[in-house]
Amino acid sequence: MNDWASYQLQDFIPFTADIYVRLLERMGETFWPLHLLTLALGAATLVLALSHRTRLACLLPAPLWAFVAIAFFIQRYAELNWAGGYVGYAFISQAVLLVLIALTEFGLNKAPRRSSPPVIIGTAITLFGLIILPLMAPLTGGSWYQAEVFGIHADPTAITTLGLALILLRGLALWAAAIIPALWVLISALTLQVLHATGAAASGAVASGAAVPGAVALFTVLAFALLGVVWKSFESQSAR
Amino acid sequence: MNHRITRRQSLKLIGATLAAMMLPSVPLLASTGGLRQKLPPIGMGTWRTFNVGSDPTLLDARTEVVKTFFEHGGGLIDSSPMYGSAPDVMGYTLQQLGTPESLFSAEKVWSPAGGSAREQVAELKDRWNVEHFDLVQVHNLTDWREHLAALQEMKAKGTIRHVGITTSHGRRHSEVEQIMTSEDIDFVQLTYNITNREAEDRLLPLAAERGIGVIANRPYDGGRLIKNLKRRGESLPEWAQAECGCSTWADFLLKFIVSHPAITCAIPATTQVEHMHENMRAGSDPMPSADARQRMAAYIESL
Repeated sequence: MNDWASYQLQDFIPFTADIYVRLLERMGETFWPLHLLTLALGAATLVLALSHRTRLACLLPAPLWAFVAIAFFIQRYAELNWAGGYVGYAFISQAVLLVLIALTEFGLNKAPRRSSPPVIIGTAITLFGLIILPLMAPLTGGSWYQAEVFGIHADPTAITTLGLALILLRGLALWAAAIIPALWVLISALTLQVLHATGAAASGAVASGAAVPGAVALFTVLAFALLGVVWKSFESQSAR
Repeated sequence: MNHRITRRQSLKLIGATLAAMMLPSVPLLASTGGLRQKLPPIGMGTWRTFNVGSDPTLLDARTEVVKTFFEHGGGLIDSSPMYGSAPDVMGYTLQQLGTPESLFSAEKVWSPAGGSAREQVAELKDRWNVEHFDLVQVHNLTDWREHLAALQEMKAKGTIRHVGITTSHGRRHSEVEQIMTSEDIDFVQLTYNITNREAEDRLLPLAAERGIGVIANRPYDGGRLIKNLKRRGESLPEWAQAECGCSTWADFLLKFIVSHPAITCAIPATTQVEHMHENMRAGSDPMPSADARQRMAAYIESL
C-alpha cells in the first residue's frame, strides 16, 4: 500500500466536534461582553470603508487580528493542534500587513465605487461575517456563547476582512491581504467537514450537525471572495 | 502528584477489581519478572477524543469516561505525544481518580515530538503523573531502530515494562513483519477490524508464533463503521445474540476483533460514558467461535 495514499484529511484533525465547539464556546465565555465592542468596530470599519475613509478602515481590524492570533490560536487552539501556534503567527503577520498597507496606502482604493460588483460582493461578505455567521450557531441548536463573532473568533474575523479587502484594496495589495484570510477559511471549512464526517458521539452529533451548514457557508464565501478578487484584478487592469 | 487514594476511591477500586475478575482476560504472552500478566480484552484509545486542552468542562467529562472504564475493570489505555494534550488529560484524570492496579499505561515515542526516546518518556511520565509506563511503543515506526534500541535499554533497567511498535491503516506491514521477526518486542499495535483484515494473513499468525501481544487500533475504523451502521438503521442478525452474545453493534464489532486468538486487546476511543459502557460490555463472554467469526464478517460484507 502506498503510505501517502492511505492518509485522509481526518488524520490531520486531532480533535472531535464537541472539543472544537467547546473551544469556540470558551472564547465566548471568557471574553463576553468584548463581542459588543469588536462587532461595533467591525460595523464602523464597513461604514468607513464605504464612506471613503479607507486608511482608517484598513487600520481598525489590525489589532483584532493580533488579538485572535494570541487569544484564540496561540493560547487555546495550539493546545489541541501543534499547527495552531503557526496559524497564530500567520494572523499576527496579517495584522502587520494591514498596518503597513494603512500607513503606506499601497494598493489602497481611496474611493471605492459602491456599485462596482467586487465592492458589492465585498459588502455582502462583510455583512455575512458580521451578522449572519454569529447567528449560525444559535440557529442550529448551539448556545449563544458558541456564536462566532468578528474580532473574537477566527472565521468571522477572516471572512469580514476578506470582504473589507474587496472594498478597500486593489492589485497586489488585495491579493496579499486576501491570502491568509482565504487560507484560514479554507482550512476551517475542511475542518468542519471532517468533524461532521467523524462526529459519531451523541453530544458530538449536535456539534457536527452545525458543522454542515458551517462548512457549506465557508466554501460559498470563499468562492464568492475568489470571484470578487479576480473580478477586481481584471477591473484594475482594464482601467489602466 | 498526590497518589493517596480516599476511602471512597478504594471502595470503587475494589469494585473495579471484582469487575475485572469477572471479565474474561486475554493472556498476555509478554512477561515481566516471570509473572504472567493478563489484560482485559477491551482497552481504551485516546486519539482525537482526549485532546481537550485545558477546558475544565471537558476535562471533567473525560474523567467520567475513564472512571467508567476503570469501574468495568479496564486495563490498557493508549496515548501518544502526537495526540496533542491527551497525555496531560490522562494525567488529570488519574489525579482525580487515583491510579488503579488494573491500569496498563501505554505510551509512544514519536520523532516529530522532539528529543530522544528517554527525554520523551520522562516528559510523558510527568504529563501522565505515573511512576512508570507499562508499555512504550515506537509510533508509526518513526526512526524505529534508534528508538527501539533506547526503549530496550530502558526496559532492561526497569524504567519501562514492555516495548512495542505501532502502525495503522495497514501501512508498512512488510516492515512491521520484519521487525516482529528480527527484534525482541513485546507488543505490536496495528489496525484490525471487521472490514480491515489484512493483518490476518501474516502479522497475526506471526504474533501468535512469537508470543507478541497485539493491540488492535481503529476497531470502528475511526468511528465510521459503527456510525454508518447506526445511521443506516441496520439491525443485528438474529443469530448474533445466540451465537456470540451480541446485543449491540459495539458488541458485534468488538467481539469480532478480540475473539481472534492472536489479539490481546482492542482500543476503541470514545467521548461518551454510555459508549464506554457499551464497549466494555463487549469484552464479556460469550465470544464468537471461529465459524461465527466467519459468519460475522460475511454478514458485514453483505450489507
